[in-house]
Amino acid sequence: MSDRYVPVQWNPNKWLYDAVLIACVAAYILIYLNLGNPAADVTRPADGAIVRMRAFGTCAFFMLTAILCIGPLARLDRRFLPLLYNRRHFGVITAVVAVTHSTYVLNWYFAFSPTPRLEALLGANTSYGQLLGFPFEAFGVFALIVLAILAATSHDFWLNFLTPPVWKRLHLMIYPAYAAVVAHVVLGYLQDTKNPAFALVFGAAALSVAGLHLAAHLKDGAARRAKGAWIPVARPQDISDSRARIVKMPDGRRAAVFRDGARIGAVSNACAHQNGPLGEGRVIDGCITCPWHGFQYRLEDGCSPPPFTEKVPTYDLRLQDGVIEIAAEANAPGTPVTPLDVPEASDV
Amino acid sequence: MESAQTLLMAGQVYVWIGLAVAVVFLGWGLDRIDAKGHGSWMFRPLLVPGVILIWPLVLWRWQVLARENDNLQNRHRPPLTTQRLMGLGLVLAIPVLIAGALLLRQDGPLERPAVMLETAAETSSNE
Amino acid sequence: MSDPVSDPVREREAPFFIGWATIPEGLRWFLGGIAIGLVVLLAGLSYLTAATQDDPGDGAFMGRADAVGLLQAAPYPILHVTQSDSFAPGTALMLTGNGKRGAQPQADAFDGQLVAVSGARISRGDIIALQLRGGENGISAAPEQTGASLPQPRDLGRWRITGEICDGKCYSGAMRPGRGLAHKACANLCLIGGIPPVFVATDKIDGTEFFMLADQDGGPVTEHVLNHVATLVEIEGSVERHGAMAVFRIDPATLRLAQ
Repeated sequence: MSDRYVPVQWNPNKWLYDAVLIACVAAYILIYLNLGNPAADVTRPADGAIVRMRAFGTCAFFMLTAILCIGPLARLDRRFLPLLYNRRHFGVITAVVAVTHSTYVLNWYFAFSPTPRLEALLGANTSYGQLLGFPFEAFGVFALIVLAILAATSHDFWLNFLTPPVWKRLHLMIYPAYAAVVAHVVLGYLQDTKNPAFALVFGAAALSVAGLHLAAHLKDGAARRAKGAWIPVARPQDISDSRARIVKMPDGRRAAVFRDGARIGAVSNACAHQNGPLGEGRVIDGCITCPWHGFQYRLEDGCSPPPFTEKVPTYDLRLQDGVIEIAAEANAPGTPVTPLDVPEASDV
Repeated sequence: MESAQTLLMAGQVYVWIGLAVAVVFLGWGLDRIDAKGHGSWMFRPLLVPGVILIWPLVLWRWQVLARENDNLQNRHRPPLTTQRLMGLGLVLAIPVLIAGALLLRQDGPLERPAVMLETAAETSSNE
Repeated sequence: MSDPVSDPVREREAPFFIGWATIPEGLRWFLGGIAIGLVVLLAGLSYLTAATQDDPGDGAFMGRADAVGLLQAAPYPILHVTQSDSFAPGTALMLTGNGKRGAQPQADAFDGQLVAVSGARISRGDIIALQLRGGENGISAAPEQTGASLPQPRDLGRWRITGEICDGKCYSGAMRPGRGLAHKACANLCLIGGIPPVFVATDKIDGTEFFMLADQDGGPVTEHVLNHVATLVEIEGSVERHGAMAVFRIDPATLRLAQ
């Protein structure tokens, strides 16, 4: 959180996160080039540029695989949520590795020719009408452009400027990009390799992304939209202290009904920063705290405590026959709503 | 190669327009639409690549914000259904791509005999 | 009661991580384990992926070489060596230009003549290419003309052969690996630049498995084969021996993927 934009909002956890990422990339590349490659059983070693494009290409693939596993893992087991905290840096580093891969490709396969490199990349193989021999580079170019866009729009400014839903839609392009990377590999390198080791490792990695997404999808289930102007939520004592119940509202949005001791308040479930699920967060020092990046909002008005300026919509609540009911219409972000006072709940 | 040239030319035009948008937006427009940007300059060079890549989106948001047309409730409607569907798309696409590619692979026997269709013509045979 | 989307109550005891605060006690070992596990996993994947790379063969640049011989310009420039310190007389050299350029512009003027050539030797098994130096340093008329003439083509019949179309230069060893689908666009770029297409067959005919490709009239065939480079294909055509060089005069209409 900040009240002003800075290039990167560093904190010790981000330093640690990035240090682990750099260690991963360094270990991968150094081991590939200095231990793995010399151990390959070859008559003469492959060209240095080709070995490097393989090293950086496979590294980018495995990193992207790890990135795509974080989301479903965090949904399946909340202990993985911290990996989501700095996932944008993970993406930026992956984009750099992927660009390095493409640079080796351009400066080797598409160099030494009277045709300029980019023109050669786009025009040397135009067999778009066939699967075997399809210009798989096109899939790589698409994925690289997506990675570049995502890396270039990872700053918090973009979230605020585009709005989190638009930003998220843009960043959902990572799904087609990953499919494109898989296509890029299976129509290219995978067709060539005689040793089955790469196919096995690659297949296992890509299928684990598919498997985790399926598992997370099955776990989440689809909640029904509630109906009516007032929607019953729960009895106050059924919401544990400092936690929330998430309700799917008639308009398809979600609201989070929090209990903080004897006070009960409701806000939009979507955090103002990145639309993280506030209802999966906690109330800490009287503030609802987002489980993704720790943005905080006061229970009574959905505003971040000063000097911060973020706001989320609030909802009116009422108590009907001992059951909390939430108004179907959201209030404007930051509208004060007096929390329900339920002293009996805090005695449970 | 002609279509490659056309594509590259279009890409260059896109980037040049993006650069122009970046200069105007980061130097002038941003201060008028985002209070957090006031007096903060260090982060702006970081935004240049982003503006160049998605400048049509930048222009659209810029005019929405400049006219104070922004629907604040819309900031809290995450595309959860789209995300679920795209996740499911990936669940489907990955096994299909891998299985398809393994079926395509030409790793059958590689010692396929050559078949003689006609013997050599007598006239040109060497003595 | 409404349908709860999630029930965080069940997860009451999970420690709550806040990015800007210190990591909760209960998560430190878990996250430390993930960090170390991720580094170790990537290190392992790296070694496995690198150490199981396929053998790209023994093709390579073999240093400077000079030769005198008879130049054949079609379908692509070939030198039939008559005299050289580097090659046995009778060896057929596939001539190429620098980088991804063919030698046609340099060679055309000398078709059928005795020439002196100089350049970098590239070879893999029986297939030998010579990357010519620029201009007259690469090809010039031989100082002593002997009146010898190009070898008469010897017809080996009409065949259906299975194999891979490669660019002659990369396959010979200018790149390692210089074949296969990952290299297809590069091969196409070479072919477009004038490098001779060669057919690497799965069977030998008259003792050779390498054939320079030509069209049915013996001329260049590049534009007809670009879509079929780097895959295993079946082609019909007539095979000819031009001295030591086997030339496969193909009928592009018969080109199809080998099943």
